[in-house]
Amino acid sequence: MLPELLQGIDAGGFLIIQDSTSYSGRHLLKSFINSALDREEAVHVLGFEVSEEELKDGLKGSPIQRLHFHNAYSDPLGWTDHPAFTVSQFCLDELTRLVKQTSHPKPATLVIDSLSWILRHLSPPDVCKTLHQLRKGGAVRAIIGLLHADMHQRGTVGSVCHLATSVITVVPVVKGDKAVAKITKRSKSGKVMQDEEIFSIKEDFTVIVQGKPSQLGPKLADPKEQETDPTANLTFNLRLSDTEREAKEKLALPFVFSKEKKTALLHSGPGSGRILYEPDANDDYDQEDPDDDLDV
Amino acid sequence: MYTELNSILNTNPDSFTQGEFVLLSDRKSDASFLIHHFLSLYLRARCKVWFLGLVQSFNHYSAISQRLGVSLAQAKEKGQLVFLEGLNESLSVLIPQETDTRSQAMGFLRDPAVGLKSLYEFVRSSVTSSGGGEAGADGAEEWGPPVLLVDDLSVLLSLGGNVVMLVRCDGEEEEEDDGDDEGSERLLKGLTHQCSLTLHVQGLPTGFCRDIHGQVEVCWRRRQGDGQYTQKKLFQYKVHDKGVSFFAPGTSSAVL
Repeated sequence: MLPELLQGIDAGGFLIIQDSTSYSGRHLLKSFINSALDREEAVHVLGFEVSEEELKDGLKGSPIQRLHFHNAYSDPLGWTDHPAFTVSQFCLDELTRLVKQTSHPKPATLVIDSLSWILRHLSPPDVCKTLHQLRKGGAVRAIIGLLHADMHQRGTVGSVCHLATSVITVVPVVKGDKAVAKITKRSKSGKVMQDEEIFSIKEDFTVIVQGKPSQLGPKLADPKEQETDPTANLTFNLRLSDTEREAKEKLALPFVFSKEKKTALLHSGPGSGRILYEPDANDDYDQEDPDDDLDV
Repeated sequence: MYTELNSILNTNPDSFTQGEFVLLSDRKSDASFLIHHFLSLYLRARCKVWFLGLVQSFNHYSAISQRLGVSLAQAKEKGQLVFLEGLNESLSVLIPQETDTRSQAMGFLRDPAVGLKSLYEFVRSSVTSSGGGEAGADGAEEWGPPVLLVDDLSVLLSLGGNVVMLVRCDGEEEEEDDGDDEGSERLLKGLTHQCSLTLHVQGLPTGFCRDIHGQVEVCWRRRQGDGQYTQKKLFQYKVHDKGVSFFAPGTSSAVL
């Protein structure tokens, strides 16, 4: 799905690249910029986090003329007298004016590097409102934003991502410079598609998809080994022959109360002592057996 | 300046990359020994150093640097070191007197709404004013690229609230940050995204040890176009009277 997203975002689309300190999403962002420039679109970049040289580093060729960098890096809070672009200018009117300054036949793509910066200084509802207005406004064709998910609370990240039509979360893979992209794409019909892909980015910012994470997972354990017979290969015999097995099963265990034992106990055999009882005049002799109702 | 740390970081007073942002952070430990390393390294490299010392007095840093072979007082006299002593300045802000005409660099203590703009103004005016008179007729020496050291940022966070100090000099920056509670955690993450080198100091996960004082995780975040390779290395360290020794985990001299 990643190559499809790179080939173009639908009009009115909003793509968010979510990254963390362990893997920076800026390279992927530059890949998106590169492919937008190749499609002869104009790209406006609001650069809060890196300088113009650093962002343009690696993007070569004539398409770079279509890349308009708005410098919010040197003075984003307006502390000097002549700030180029400040955080407070992140609203629909200012941004529309900024984009319309450069006329171009094809509609422009707005790239925000990064949304985290804006969210630190403006309230999340305001940012969401501006983004929503931008999407519907028509001044820009599509918006791509970089968001550092570990810099905000989950609610803030969730709210902003809810506005997006596609979200790519990048996490690093243990070895090498590959990373896993978890992609969620919402189409206009409301269908949500999700995918996970391993990718790496080459020097010229082309993205190579190298398969799914499950393929790189640990190999399935070898089919269960044949159960070894513990009685084999011994110097003594642990097996039973058939007659021996029969005798074993017939054996009466010493402390199990079987029927034979019960009758032997209750009815004393010949030769055992007998009790003769001659009741006295005062005795209350009851002929009945008091234990008759016991079910032993 | 600790020679072992220099070889780990591939820096020495004669050559180091410019435009770097080094972040020193600690968690339940004290990374201030790293501040002393970088201070003496850059002074030895003949760079112009701006030191915002917000947690300790000048004498404290001076005494320790003396042990490392660098004289802060001398550097200050020669103009190589510009020291903002936060503790002194904050007193004049909190208890203002009529005769006080010092800069309002610590003005954010009184009025957090102003933010850290006055601190930024102080550094910026200082940098630009010195840049102008560098090769002046008064025979001032020419110094190398400017370096800004801040010790430490979490103080700004706990006193001033929302910290967004941006000083985009042409040189290098270093900051120290304590990652314990949520506010400083966010700040740490935000700065980590921007920096090119982090050194994170924490205690040993197995507990207190007399011979090993903790571990340092060094993380290089390469930001050039040639690939996204983050390299991490872990070292253990022991602080001595006149230096710090670094070694790979498990190879402490007490153990081998």
